[in-house]
Amino acid sequence: MYIYLPIAEQPINAFIVLGIGWLVGIIMGMVGIGGGFLLTPLMIFFGIPSPVAVASVANQLVAPSVSGVLSHWKSGNVDFKMGTILLVGGVIGSSIGVLIFNILNAIGQLDLVIKLSYVIFLAIIGSLMFIESFKLIVQTKRGKPNRGKLHQHNWLHGLPFKTRFRKSKLYISIILPLIIGVIVGILAALMGIGGGFIIVPAMIYLLGMPTSLVIGTSLFQIIFVAANTTILQASQNQTVDIVLALILLIGSVIGVQIGSKFSNLMKGEHLRLFLSFIILLVGLKLILDLVTIPLDIFSVSVIQ
Amino acid sequence: MRTLIKKILLITIIALNSFTVFAKDNLVTDLSESTVEISSTFSGADILLFGAYDGQKNDDIIVVVTGQKGNIKVDKKEKKFGIWMITESVKFSNVPKYYYIASNRKIEEITNKSEIKKRKLDFNNFELKNNKIDYKNLDKKWYEALKRNMKKKQFWKIEENSIKLNKNTLFRKTLSLPSNVSTGMYDVKILHYRKGNLISQEKSKIKIDKTGISANIYNVAQNFSAIYGIIAVIVALFFGWFTNFIFRRI
Repeated sequence: MYIYLPIAEQPINAFIVLGIGWLVGIIMGMVGIGGGFLLTPLMIFFGIPSPVAVASVANQLVAPSVSGVLSHWKSGNVDFKMGTILLVGGVIGSSIGVLIFNILNAIGQLDLVIKLSYVIFLAIIGSLMFIESFKLIVQTKRGKPNRGKLHQHNWLHGLPFKTRFRKSKLYISIILPLIIGVIVGILAALMGIGGGFIIVPAMIYLLGMPTSLVIGTSLFQIIFVAANTTILQASQNQTVDIVLALILLIGSVIGVQIGSKFSNLMKGEHLRLFLSFIILLVGLKLILDLVTIPLDIFSVSVIQ
Repeated sequence: MRTLIKKILLITIIALNSFTVFAKDNLVTDLSESTVEISSTFSGADILLFGAYDGQKNDDIIVVVTGQKGNIKVDKKEKKFGIWMITESVKFSNVPKYYYIASNRKIEEITNKSEIKKRKLDFNNFELKNNKIDYKNLDKKWYEALKRNMKKKQFWKIEENSIKLNKNTLFRKTLSLPSNVSTGMYDVKILHYRKGNLISQEKSKIKIDKTGISANIYNVAQNFSAIYGIIAVIVALFFGWFTNFIFRRI
C-alpha cells in the first residue's frame, strides 16, 4: 500500500517502512539501544531526502524513548537529577545542531555531511561493538570472566561545580554531564539519533554511573533532545514528515516490546556481534555510494 | 454517479461548443479532468486530452503542457579526497517545473525552426532569468545537465508520434503525471498545424493541488511550523505512552 508523504512529497510503500521500523525496533528491544542510527540511513536508501529522514527519525525517536522510560521508571532505574542536567546540555546541543544543519543546508553540503558523519559513526560503533562482543565470546568459551574496575577516578572528577547525585551515588561536577549532553544533542539534530551509543558508555566510563540506571536515564534525556530537535527542525526547515515518523514509530514501538520480551533468548554478546555486522554493512553501503562514480555527475533539484 | 453526470455534462458542453466554435477556429478540446488532487494515496495521474478539429489530410496536432515556473538548481559533483561531492552549482530561475510536448509525428517535420523557437516546442528555448548568471556565456554542459536530469525525473517529457489522429477530425492523448509532480496551475496548449502553419489553437488549464489530510499536513507544516512541530512531538509522546500502557497488560 502506497502512502503519499506530505513533506517528503513522494509516495512510499507503507508496509515496507512499517516492517523496517518493526525490525529495527526488535533489535532495539533485544539489545537495549536506540535505532535512529539504522533508521536514518535506511530511509536515505529508500530515497527519502536526507534532511527529511534525519528530522522525521528524530520525531519518531520520542515514542520508543517514552515507552522505555516508563518501564525503567517503574523499576526505579531513572536518575532524574542526572537526566535533567544531561537534558539541559542536550537541549543546548540540539539547538546548536539545528543551527549547523541550517548552515550546511545553505551552502549545499548538508547531504554530504550527514552521510559522512554516518560513515564515520557507523564504522567506529560497528568495529568497537564487533571487537567487544567477539572478545567476550572468546573469553566465556575459555571460561575467564573479565572484570574491570567499576568506578575509576581521573582528572574529570576534579572539575568544579560538584553536586551530589543520590540515586547514582555520585559526587561529581555538573560540567561533565552537561558537555556530554551538548555533544549528544548536536548529534541528535544532525543525524537523527538519540545518541545512546555515546551517552551510555560515557555515563558508565566517564561519569561512573551504576549500569542499572544508565539506560533509563539516557532514554529520559533522549525524549527531550528528540522533542527539541523535532520542534526546531519543523519550525526552521519544515523537514519533519509526521506521516513518515508515524509509520516508523508504530513499527518500532511494537518491535521494541517484542524484542525486549525475547531479549533473554539470545546471549547479549551474540546479539551485539550480529548487530555489529548490520551496522558495518549499512556503513559500507553508505561509503560505497560516496566513492563510486555517480551515474550522472550532474543532478537537479527543484527549489520551492 | 457524480462522475457520470460530469461526463454527460462534458459531452453536452462539447456538443454545444462544436456548433459555435467550429466555424471560428476549427478546434475544440477538452480534458478528462481539469483538477488533479494529490491525496494521501496519490501515485500519479492519467489525464485524457481529447478534442475535434476541422482537419484535412496531413494536418498535425501538437500538445504542450507547462507547469508552474520556479527555481531549479543544477549541482555538479567532483571527486575530492576520494569522495564525490558537490563542487559547483548553477541556479536556473523561471524554468517550468513540468514541461510536456506531444505530437502526431516528428515536430521537425511538422513545422520550421523559427516556429519551434517561437512556440517553445523543444527544451532549448527557455527564457532563463537570473541577474547573477550570464546565461549567454554559461557552459552548454549546464543546459544539457538540466535537460537530461529533468527528463530522467519525468518532469520534462517529449513524445513525438504519440498522438492518434482519427479521420482528420478527432485526436486524443493520455498525459501521465508522475507521482512527485509539483503543484500549481498547468497550462495546456493544443496547436493545429497545416503545412507547417499554425491555423488554430486552444488553451486550457489543469489545476494540480494537494487535498485531504496530506494537504492539511503540508499547509500546517508550512504556515504554522512551530505548532506542527509541537503536534508531531505530542503524537509521538502519546504513542510511546500508549504502547507502554497496552503492553503492560499483555
